[in-house]
Amino acid sequence: MNLYVDAGILSALVVVLVWPFSTWLARADWVTRAPRSAVALWHSLGISATLATIGAGLCVATERFHAGFVGGVGELGEGIAGGHPLQGLGLPDALGLTLAADVGVVLVSVVGFVVVRTVLARARHRRLLNLLATPSRNRKGALTIDHPSPVAYCLPGIRPRIVISSGTMRLLDQAELAAVIEHERGHAHERHGLVMLPMTSLTEPFRWIPYARLAPRAVAGLLEMAADDHAARRHAPSSLASALVALSTSSAPPRCAFAAASHGVNARVHRLLGSDRSSKTVAAAAGFLCTVAVAAPLAVLLSS
Amino acid sequence: MAGLGELERRVMDVLWGSMGIPMTGRQVADQLPDRAYTTILTILERLRRKNLVERTTDEKVHRFAATASRETYMAELMVEAFGSAQDRQAVLVRFAEVVSPEEAVVLRQALADLPDDPSGKRR
Repeated sequence: MNLYVDAGILSALVVVLVWPFSTWLARADWVTRAPRSAVALWHSLGISATLATIGAGLCVATERFHAGFVGGVGELGEGIAGGHPLQGLGLPDALGLTLAADVGVVLVSVVGFVVVRTVLARARHRRLLNLLATPSRNRKGALTIDHPSPVAYCLPGIRPRIVISSGTMRLLDQAELAAVIEHERGHAHERHGLVMLPMTSLTEPFRWIPYARLAPRAVAGLLEMAADDHAARRHAPSSLASALVALSTSSAPPRCAFAAASHGVNARVHRLLGSDRSSKTVAAAAGFLCTVAVAAPLAVLLSS
Repeated sequence: MAGLGELERRVMDVLWGSMGIPMTGRQVADQLPDRAYTTILTILERLRRKNLVERTTDEKVHRFAATASRETYMAELMVEAFGSAQDRQAVLVRFAEVVSPEEAVVLRQALADLPDDPSGKRR
């Protein structure tokens, strides 16, 4: 098949994945019943769109060899290895190659930059915790900080830290506190810091792409639900729900600029109090969609 | 190594407790009687390399003081914990965002409506 046709199909796939499909997924209600699978689906969309973009560029660049995609990429590779990568390159070939190379370079450099920045920020926060936080006497594995603001969070890393402020301990009863700490253990245990990293890379320059705008917030919200599930398996869901309400409605300062994500708290509380929190069928369906999303660009490329 | 970090924190606590008055290594060590004087000096030197402690020398006597107050570091920590969404994404995952007063009413009502939940009655 003509590789230009393949490039067209792949481009269409990219547009569908990052625009209408992403918009649909961001609005879908079923994701709350299988948050972890939905997170995997968001990642699959990103992987698929990236593969398809690079693939489309390579298709355009290798059409001139008339050897199919695999053969064409092989000849392109030989040309580069032989030291004459640009020989016989026409304008469309050059544009295709530029697209493929640029997407690859931008991806590696942006993700690399964000990873380094995140690792440094976490190290700085860990140093602060080393100075200010004391291991909790009765809550194993948790650190406490002496501050009136009710905060509870997990600092991701090789050895994740769970931090609870004295304000939180005053606000919650024992059952609620145990549920909150288990929620944070869920983040630590399931390595949510790592899961969130590629989403953190989708920063300002990419915000014109609907996927880049929608995915980070959606995944952040879904990870909270995944951690809720982790806690709800070990503690009463109602304890976690009341802790959530107590912490998110406490009048203690500072409270500026947090209302943006409040939709998440509302959804989480109702989810915890509801009876059909998770569904294996929905998770399986989402898993199937993941496979289809990643397989689609590969199938187009390898079949030509 | 965890013990070393713990000791660094205790030394900082002593320096913060001195109300900004520089202390000699001996004075710090006296407040931490379970540790040897030489250990305390090593820790102070480590903290100095990390710019957490500054040393002044007056008539051949070294005195140590914290470079910033405990409150300064705590404020920095809380800014990172409560900071803008983008900073926070890089650093940590917070348990709950703060909601608007209108939503707070709805949320409390949802809890109060629970038939057999004792924890819902308190608030």
